[in-house]
Amino acid sequence: MYRYDNIDQTLVAERVAQFRDQTRRFLAGELSEDEFKPLRLRNGLYIQTHAPMLRVAIPYGLLSSRQLRMLAHLARKYDRDYGHFTTRQNLQYNWPKLEDVPDMLADLATVEMHAIQTSGNCIRNTTADHFAGIAPDEVDDPRPYCEIIRQWSTVHPEFNYLPRKFKIAVTGSPADRAASEVHDIGLHLKRGPDGEIGFEVLVGGGLGRTPIIGKVICDFLPREHLLSYLEAILRIYNQEGRRDNIYKARIKILVKALGIEAFREAVEAEWALIRDSGLKLEVAEIERMRSFFVPLPYETLADIDPTTGREPAFVAWYRHNTRAHKVPGYRAVIVSLKAPDIAPGDITATQMDELADLADRLSSGQLRATHDQNLILAEVRQQDLYEVWQGLVALTLATPNIGTLTDMICCPGLDFCSLANASSISIAKQINDRFTDVDYLYDLGHIEVKMSGCMNACGHHHVGHIGILGVDKRGEEWYQITLGGSASGISSLGTVIGPSVSKADVAETIAKILDVYVAERQEEESFLDAFRRIGVQPFSERVYAANH
Amino acid sequence: MRQIIKDRQVVADDWTYVGKEEAAGATRVVLPLADYLAVRAGGESPVPGAQVAVSLLPADDEQALKPYLADLPLIVVEFPSTAEGRGYTQARLLRERMGFQGELRAAGGVRLDQVFLLARCGFNAFDLAVGEKLEPAIAELERFSVAYQDGAGPLTHPRRRYDTGASSAR
Ligand code: HEM
Ligand code: SF4
Repeated sequence: MYRYDNIDQTLVAERVAQFRDQTRRFLAGELSEDEFKPLRLRNGLYIQTHAPMLRVAIPYGLLSSRQLRMLAHLARKYDRDYGHFTTRQNLQYNWPKLEDVPDMLADLATVEMHAIQTSGNCIRNTTADHFAGIAPDEVDDPRPYCEIIRQWSTVHPEFNYLPRKFKIAVTGSPADRAASEVHDIGLHLKRGPDGEIGFEVLVGGGLGRTPIIGKVICDFLPREHLLSYLEAILRIYNQEGRRDNIYKARIKILVKALGIEAFREAVEAEWALIRDSGLKLEVAEIERMRSFFVPLPYETLADIDPTTGREPAFVAWYRHNTRAHKVPGYRAVIVSLKAPDIAPGDITATQMDELADLADRLSSGQLRATHDQNLILAEVRQQDLYEVWQGLVALTLATPNIGTLTDMICCPGLDFCSLANASSISIAKQINDRFTDVDYLYDLGHIEVKMSGCMNACGHHHVGHIGILGVDKRGEEWYQITLGGSASGISSLGTVIGPSVSKADVAETIAKILDVYVAERQEEESFLDAFRRIGVQPFSERVYAANH
Repeated sequence: MRQIIKDRQVVADDWTYVGKEEAAGATRVVLPLADYLAVRAGGESPVPGAQVAVSLLPADDEQALKPYLADLPLIVVEFPSTAEGRGYTQARLLRERMGFQGELRAAGGVRLDQVFLLARCGFNAFDLAVGEKLEPAIAELERFSVAYQDGAGPLTHPRRRYDTGASSAR
């Protein structure tokens, strides 16, 4: 993984010193609440319902065991012994004290981490495929490019006061595991006509109040032009994006207003003037960055069937919570942060420490955070899977539910978030309580439930196969349900089934939707495929049928 | 007289912002873009005889100044609020693309927490928000000793680490 050199370390240290000073000025009354806000946001600090919330960047989701131990330490020392993984491969602390945050950031800097630009109207943490580097279907590893983007975007002098936040995702596989099409910029690694590596560039995707799937602005961008092209897009956005209305300020609104052709024209005109500037990446720079992500010295192993002679619980876990690795004899393990009785994405300090040990002992000493709020041990020898499973079972991190109904994405909602209309965590619990029959869940197959407590869409509900959105109806919590969304491969936004349902009825409504699927599905047809074939109507009819 | 930061010094500023300040009798005046262009096109100055400079609002097109850059002593880029970000781009284009050499001043909602970034974009003068202290803002110009981007100032050029192997594997 990338290691800081003295330049990176100096920058992070100087940033901590800057924020310490800003916090001191705020506490001393030299900065008002309003003046401090944009400064703290650019260091990951929100003020929420109960307390400040600190969002720590995990660049492209990659974490070393040493870093995870530090996250555990912070949870213990400054928070309530746990942290929360988000849909953008970050970690949030829900209970820090404002005056402790500079110390937390200083602690993070000791393990090459920071919270720079994890919120605020600037370029945020760049996310990537969580199977980067090990996916059998990968064109190239996205992480070196993510690190190049991370550095270019960090404390970028021109782009720290954008009209609105700006999120970039990079994927190296045709199967899009980074939801790249609902990002402000999505980059898809691909090969050009002569086999050279570059990117398909999408722009103007996003969720929130106005969900839009990104449009292709460039079919093939040779990789050496990555930064100049990004800079051109950002510059047009910084100049032309709306600043008069916060709800219309994202780049998606600009692209929509101008039309992709006119937007492309503006970007290309700007790009022509900077493409051969100092932003052009030299092969040596790209190669140096790639050298940080070279594959491990894998052992020569044959593929085995680790389930032979093992108990059913292990076999179920193996089927659902492990994935193919491009190297024979290895497999990737998904660590489920979706145990039925915890808030999706939450992890305790003890779990973090023990997991770090497990990663050192039986994987590469690294972990990845996924955009669906789980973790991954990416380099496990197949012969060690049983031992890994036992370790995870002991930590209650082996719930065999990855890709099933209960592997839900869920935002903090009313329990923590001051913007929420409704609770999300309690709905996750309601669903877990209602659907306890694992055989039924396995029979349903791959279903993505995504839940947001308001239209800001932190829980990606628009792109859930089943999306749940909290709405406020005369002070009560109600939920709008959408079906058929997806952000992987062929992206689509969900269709609303009808009027929102009351809090007590959410799980029951989902049960009805699932009944329709089970009745209508053809051989092996997934929920999403069935929905795409039969449309929303049969589902709406069933859900709103007068008391049958 | 107004105090500003220029080239890392606190200096007294004798320019008058026309439209915001009483300009009668002023010897050096800063005009809004439209007025400035009108004067350069041969129109009468609102303060006849005074030396003229220009100020840009966020939506103004800096390209309009292209013909006049060589003898423009000062361009004021206005930040109606701290959140305003267009001026950063205007400054980079004026300096890097159009080669403007004169005083480039950020004015308005400019606080000490922004001056480092502004300087990186090419500003060499700062007329800070009311109440902001100047000396600490000068210190703030030295806040970072490294940077990942090419830009105005003596900081690390990102490419250097590849050329010289500046990266020390730890
Ligand atoms: C509790 C504190 C949080 C607050 C105050 C907050 C606030 C917001 C707001 C206001 C937006 C909409 C921005 C816009 O449309 O321009 C947003 C979007 C988003 N949030 Fe959060 N959020 C919080 C927590 C989270 C968490 C925990 C996650 C992950 C589980 C998350 C992931 C996202 C994502 C992925 C988007 C992007 C949606 C898009 O593309 O428009 N946020 N957030
Ligand atoms: S979706 Fe709404 S309720 Fe949920 S975290 Fe985001 S802003 Fe808060």
